[in-house]
Amino acid sequence: MEPVKILVVEDEHKLATAIQQGLAANQHTVSVAHSGEDGFFLAQTQTFDLLVFDVMLPGRDGLEIVASLRRLGHRTPILLLTSKDGVDDRVAGLDSGADDYLVKPFALSELQARVRALGRRNTPDFGATLKLDDLELDRVRHTVTRAGKSLDLTVREFELLEYFMRQPDQVISREMLAREVWKESARHTPIDNLIDVHIARLRRKMDDPYQRKLLQTIRGVGFVLRLSE
Amino acid sequence: MTPLFKGPQRIGARISLTYSLLLIAALSFFAIGTSALLFLQMRAQLVHFAVQDVETVEGLMSIAPDGRFLMRDDYHNHPESKRVLEHYLEVLAPDGTILYRNDRLGSLKLGGAIESSEGVGGYSPRSISLPDGTPLVIVSRRHNLQGRTVIIRLAHSEEPVWHALKQFWAAAAVMFPVMLLLAAAVGFRMSHRILAPVRSIASQAELITSSRLHERIPTNGTGDELDQLAETFNRTLTRLDLSFTQLRQFTADASHELRTPLAAIRSVGEVGLARDGSREEYRELVASMLEEVNRLTRLVEELLLIARGDAGVIPLNLRPLKVVEFVRDTIALLEPLAEEKSQRLELLAPLDEQIQADPLFLRQALINVLHNAIKYSPVNAKTVVRIECGPAAHGVIIAVHDEGPGLSPEQISRVFDRFYRVDQGRSRDAGGFGLGLAIAQWAVKAHQGKFEITSTPGAGSEFRILLPAASKSDQRSA
Repeated sequence: MEPVKILVVEDEHKLATAIQQGLAANQHTVSVAHSGEDGFFLAQTQTFDLLVFDVMLPGRDGLEIVASLRRLGHRTPILLLTSKDGVDDRVAGLDSGADDYLVKPFALSELQARVRALGRRNTPDFGATLKLDDLELDRVRHTVTRAGKSLDLTVREFELLEYFMRQPDQVISREMLAREVWKESARHTPIDNLIDVHIARLRRKMDDPYQRKLLQTIRGVGFVLRLSE
Repeated sequence: MTPLFKGPQRIGARISLTYSLLLIAALSFFAIGTSALLFLQMRAQLVHFAVQDVETVEGLMSIAPDGRFLMRDDYHNHPESKRVLEHYLEVLAPDGTILYRNDRLGSLKLGGAIESSEGVGGYSPRSISLPDGTPLVIVSRRHNLQGRTVIIRLAHSEEPVWHALKQFWAAAAVMFPVMLLLAAAVGFRMSHRILAPVRSIASQAELITSSRLHERIPTNGTGDELDQLAETFNRTLTRLDLSFTQLRQFTADASHELRTPLAAIRSVGEVGLARDGSREEYRELVASMLEEVNRLTRLVEELLLIARGDAGVIPLNLRPLKVVEFVRDTIALLEPLAEEKSQRLELLAPLDEQIQADPLFLRQALINVLHNAIKYSPVNAKTVVRIECGPAAHGVIIAVHDEGPGLSPEQISRVFDRFYRVDQGRSRDAGGFGLGLAIAQWAVKAHQGKFEITSTPGAGSEFRILLPAASKSDQRSA
């Protein structure tokens, strides 16, 4: 995606710096504020493509700032970071006018994915065919070929591969797969094992017979689909 | 209402006060009744005497040939008629003319004007007062004396009656307070003694703190109310003791589980910083730290779920759920895990019931049970999931029968405990945290259901989830 200008308002300095570096690695321009007041001031005086607000901020509550910005007519997409994941807290977050929320602790790859998703809102959807190297996925005919040879994938494997091919070179965590591919909103399930099994099967079909391995494991983080580094 | 008495003896004081008040009421009732009866009887006696006197007087009266009224006063000189002297006597003509007055009466007038019915057919007994204030009981009699009507009025002093009443009241005034004080004192002592075991229970209970919950209040074994009180107390203490023990165990286990990855992260980081390594080595270090972080994150999430479940703050999003479909989906989800071990997952579903459930949490319960079945069953094993009709209160049973190593009765009793791992030797990496079944049990209980486990060590276990069926109306609205 195109690099965008992002404001991150987070009072925990370490986390703010990590987010800044993580997003800057994707060529985004990131400004950081450490208090609600500073964040509100920056959001008012400069133009950003995306605002990332912590909910619990010293000075001014993140939800309150979001509500004020919306009242003042700001339409910039807003992503909330929260350590409360009760249903009520989520509803309150979205009611205040935020577009999405992320529960701490989150994987950096997850934040990057959300940023991409919010930035993609105005861009057209993908075409019928996704390509990476000699791997091709036809979303209409539900077929996958590698080097011109058709691969026989199960429905789940196809969905998994499609999810990876829509964001090549992006690190995908198991949490993201559980939520986006398996549609499991509860994170308290032994689903990680399942994901590993499916990744292994997918690899057997799309990578094992070929020289170049595309689906790679980033230990401790997740997986990435890319031409090897 | 503010209590009249404060402090530890309040109940005893209240009991004796109540009894004293009751005693006052009883004594007053007794005194008033007795004096009324006494008064009426003594007065009736006086009337009786007066009537007898009147009859005597009738015999003493005569009219002289010259028309003068005569009274044989000499009769009263007899000692046996002394009593008659004590009465007041007046004889009147119907026009009110005084024919005779005895000495006792002197110049005083006995009663007022003559009533037309006075002394006719009876004696008209009544109470009056002399002009000097003496209270009297008076009777009247119309008498035909040699063709002339005379009216005899005869009275006795009421003073002896009042005197007797006064004496009675004087005695009561002395006796009643003494009785009251005695009763109150005895009542207070009694209640004090009756309540003594309560005070002892209270002081014993005072000594039992959270660190001494294993202690119990001594019972006297009589089975009376106070003994039952002590036993009730002890049962409460037993439950508290159990909860505290479980909580302590949970806290200890949780802190162990939390500290272990933290210690790993810390030492991996320290070791990494202490020596120069290649880029690859650093990547390995960081990845290993991230793995521990992921583990910690999952643990914190599971603990939070359990804590919220305990606090009862998780609302269930109940909706009609087709059991067969639900179970089939869950099996399909986990099928790949079974396939990896060449295991089979089979569904036997003779009936399709519908229940009210929160699919998210119920699914989690079933996933955790199925996952355990797959994890602990050997290669090539078969796990059968049966859907059965349950007894009335529990409409549907989802039974998961595995071919794993089975559980001993002791393991069955502990398998839902938090952080309990059947295979203690299992390494942390291979197993979970031992929270899966605890969460499953919470989810099933939240659905008003329950778990049943049967197991044959060496031949497998069966976990049965009993769930209440949706009522007929629920099924219609679905």
